[in-house]
Amino acid sequence: MIQIECPFCGKRDQSEFSYGREGQITFPALNADENSWYDAVFLRKNTYGRQIETWQHTHGCRSWLLVERDTVTHKIFSVKLAHTDWQKQIKKTT
Amino acid sequence: MNPLRKKNQFRADNVEENVIFFFWNNKKYFANKGDSIAAGLLANNQHVIGRSFKYHRPRGIMSAGVEEAGALVTIGNGAYTEANVRATTTELTQGLSVYSQNAWPSVKFDIGSILNVLGRFFAAGFYYKMFMGIPPFEWGRGTKIWMFFEHFIRKAAGLGQSSRLPDPDCYEHMHTHTDVLVIGTGPAGLQAAISAAKEGKDVLIVEQDYAIGGSYLSQPDTVELETQIEVLKQLQVTILTRTTAFGLYDDKTVGLVQVMPAKEYKTSSKKPRQQFNICRAEKIILATGAIERSYAFINNDLPGIMSVSSARTYLNRYNLLLSKNIVISTNNDSAYETAIELENAGATITILDAREQIGNKLLQQIAGLRINLYLGSGVVKAEKGLNTSSIGKIKLVEFANNKWRYAGNLYCDCLLISAGWSPVIHLASHQGYPINWNEENACFLSSGDNKSIFLIGSARGIWTKAGCIQSAKEIFQYNSRKKHKPSTVIGGWETPLAPIYEICLHNIKGKAFVDPQHDVTSSDIRLAYQEGFISVEHMKRYTTLGMATDQGKMGNIIGLALMAEALNCSISEVGVTRFRPPYTSISLGALAGRNRQSHFKPIRRTPFNNFSIQNRGVMINAGLWHRPWYYPMESESLEAAYIREATVTRRSLGICDVSSLGKIIIQGPDSTEFINRVYTNPFAKLPVGKARYGIMLRDDGLVFDDGTTWRLSENCYLMTTTTDNASSVMARLEELLQVRWPDLSVQVTSVTDQWGGCALAGPNSRNLLTKIIDDPSEISNESLPFMGIKQVLMQNVPCYVARISFSGELGYEIYIPSDYAQSMMEFIWENGQKFECCLYGLEALGTMRIEKGHLTNAEIDGRVTIQDIGLSKMASSNKDYIGKVLKNREKLTDSDRPQLVGIFPKDKNKTFKAGALLNEAGYSNGHPLGWVTSVTFSPALGHWIALGFITGGLAYVKDKNIVLSDELRSNFLDVEIVSPQMYDPEGLRLHG
Repeated sequence: MIQIECPFCGKRDQSEFSYGREGQITFPALNADENSWYDAVFLRKNTYGRQIETWQHTHGCRSWLLVERDTVTHKIFSVKLAHTDWQKQIKKTT
Repeated sequence: MNPLRKKNQFRADNVEENVIFFFWNNKKYFANKGDSIAAGLLANNQHVIGRSFKYHRPRGIMSAGVEEAGALVTIGNGAYTEANVRATTTELTQGLSVYSQNAWPSVKFDIGSILNVLGRFFAAGFYYKMFMGIPPFEWGRGTKIWMFFEHFIRKAAGLGQSSRLPDPDCYEHMHTHTDVLVIGTGPAGLQAAISAAKEGKDVLIVEQDYAIGGSYLSQPDTVELETQIEVLKQLQVTILTRTTAFGLYDDKTVGLVQVMPAKEYKTSSKKPRQQFNICRAEKIILATGAIERSYAFINNDLPGIMSVSSARTYLNRYNLLLSKNIVISTNNDSAYETAIELENAGATITILDAREQIGNKLLQQIAGLRINLYLGSGVVKAEKGLNTSSIGKIKLVEFANNKWRYAGNLYCDCLLISAGWSPVIHLASHQGYPINWNEENACFLSSGDNKSIFLIGSARGIWTKAGCIQSAKEIFQYNSRKKHKPSTVIGGWETPLAPIYEICLHNIKGKAFVDPQHDVTSSDIRLAYQEGFISVEHMKRYTTLGMATDQGKMGNIIGLALMAEALNCSISEVGVTRFRPPYTSISLGALAGRNRQSHFKPIRRTPFNNFSIQNRGVMINAGLWHRPWYYPMESESLEAAYIREATVTRRSLGICDVSSLGKIIIQGPDSTEFINRVYTNPFAKLPVGKARYGIMLRDDGLVFDDGTTWRLSENCYLMTTTTDNASSVMARLEELLQVRWPDLSVQVTSVTDQWGGCALAGPNSRNLLTKIIDDPSEISNESLPFMGIKQVLMQNVPCYVARISFSGELGYEIYIPSDYAQSMMEFIWENGQKFECCLYGLEALGTMRIEKGHLTNAEIDGRVTIQDIGLSKMASSNKDYIGKVLKNREKLTDSDRPQLVGIFPKDKNKTFKAGALLNEAGYSNGHPLGWVTSVTFSPALGHWIALGFITGGLAYVKDKNIVLSDELRSNFLDVEIVSPQMYDPEGLRLHG
């Protein structure tokens, strides 16, 4: 059972998190052509080895995270917030 | 075999205190405290313990440990019954009831043993061939007599039966964190724990047995063991006995299950019976030992045949000398130590050593003792003794000219076998560490990663005690950052072993068992080879080798060796199947822990829960929610109640709890833009104080969820979702904001639990509202138009009133802060009495929404497009939103896709159920035209109605005769396909 180091909450059991999807996917603009949407939604690399993926700390701070994980060994190399400039956003809102 | 107790060695003054009684098949026997069930049975001269899985052959005790394949018993009575317990590893407690398994009428005379005579039909693949009716069983396929036979055979094969009563015990979960976890308390394990603790590490050491010591316990004196335990205690090492490390998982996690001794958990029901412990350690040291193997020869499963090391355990740990006349068949040095101790205890020993030469040291050790040594010898067949089910005679073979040949008979009542040792590498294998075949020692070895997971002692293939202890010390002598390179030498015998896996002669026939627990014989392995199941994975599944409760701890390697021989290759080429957790079986109760019933699925109650129950509401589970289902008057049935509730609501007034809808507050300068991207219909121009019904698509263009979103102020919205999707919509919005569109300044907050939602529906709903809110002018038709929302005061409590309708009547939803919900509901209900008024539940809610063709998850099931549900007008072409592009995929825009319709039975007295299929008359087979999703009796229309989907929708089936068929309930009727808006299609009632 792996543990994920949440940037807000610290090291927590995997059972607190939910897997999202492959993190390398860049979703096209909402009005992009059908092919690029098709690629983003249906084509997966199915990486054997290291990949970036998104996880949500569902039973914690609810942050979405970018987790670099080895799909073979389940070893985790890095965890960071998916929202890169959340601090700026909070300032803008308040 | 007539085992003898040696003199009682207990140190306690009162010997009687150390005698306990137990019941074996309801008969009372006595044993010594500390005996395992197996030791207690042996001491009472009980040798046939159970009947085998397939052939019902009598089976006895084969070992003294966890690898036991013969002596499986059932312990306890009633709800406390525990089946398939290994007699060799379970401690006898005062008054314990022990029963034999898989035998009828008794273990000594078992009718099922007729199967043994019919054995040749029951070879590998029997079940597949028989049940599938393939040769040689093709003649029986599908016949009635065959079905009867199958029933009997399924019943005949098996082990113990567990209780069908609910488990009365409780189980606990816990998490442990430690620097070093040592698994196993033999010489290597204890030394590793001591070395680690001396370095100042926090150490936990676990032992599956009920006593600490591992192989120390099998030695004649326990001085060394006691010294080591004393040191451990001084170093404050945590020691857990009865604790099995059943699996090694990612991130250095070990699954432990600790079993409490029977007496302890029954005297106090608060104590857990088992504790499931998730242990995380920086270093994991596997000192799991090795298991002594047998080899295949005919009747090698007879009671009275055991491993050599187990005789040593029974002698030294339990003071039991198995027999006065013992034959040992071995191929390695390890058996000699036991032979000498058995001789010292008074037995006459015959050693058959498969090797043609042994070392001088061994020869010197046995010189002058009552030990007869035959070199180059083995056993080809064991035979029953007179008037007994146990062994009485063996047929010997000797090795000459590179092959075995028959060399006469030998009488004995106890045969001990040692064909080498298999290190317990299971845990390393769980994590996929490489496993390599070691030719010299004839065993599979693994070394973990030598960084954080280490194997030491005999688990690493080291056979001498000194070597084992040295291997434990080594780990901590190195800088822990570097990779450890073990220097201790594998092996350690004077003369290498001579590998034997099977001894057979073509003229001596019978069954030679490879996996005694699943009754897999050596000829089964050869049959698997003949029939092409040569891959180790195929062989395992075809023969069921290693698939019994012992997971092939004794038999797997013999099976691999026989396959290697058939294929004429080496064992390493045949390979080995990866071991899977658990190492030994663990109870489901331990895995569940306290997560049972409502602790597994906690109940969510709405803020109106007490009110509903006080008013005779019958509750129903909707996901985790408890929602009011219907409110029966006196002895009213569900059907009568919901018809009355819907009728009263449409005629006058109904009140309903709708709190379980998901409620999400969306705030921030970009919230309008955000909502506009999420929903298919435009929200940009929605005025403050108004709402829109919206449809949300997934990225792939299919419908995700629907709901209403209210604009509370310029930059603040209240979104409602369906009850089912509340959490997935929330997670989705968070993902969009945090991952995909971080440039949007929006915050989303779930407020589902903060607000109680109460729906008022019916022509009198506005009249009631005027009576309950503090300033009635705020809710006049003009100031609160359809789809308007307002914050009002009710009894001075700020609430939201929204004019919206799921029932199709004039209706409102009042959102009340949860803390006030109960008293406000009582207040509303009290005022409702001034009208003809009722409470209505989920069933009546469903009835009214089906009449109106409104959707729930029965229709929005993840497979429908926005066109399919007839809402394509809500798909804006003037803006971009999620799913817009892919919803236009070719097949998703076909006009012949199933579309939402209403369904009436042509004969208005007929009823039907959801799930029925729709077809054109005359086409009852094959792919249906459509299906029924929601069904109800409509009080407004006076007959049963339904929503469903049909190919091409209303337009396509207009002039066709459609038949509804429910094959399972044999219900077939003609139906009329109509518009899904079955009641008040113009929506006149909605506006009051």
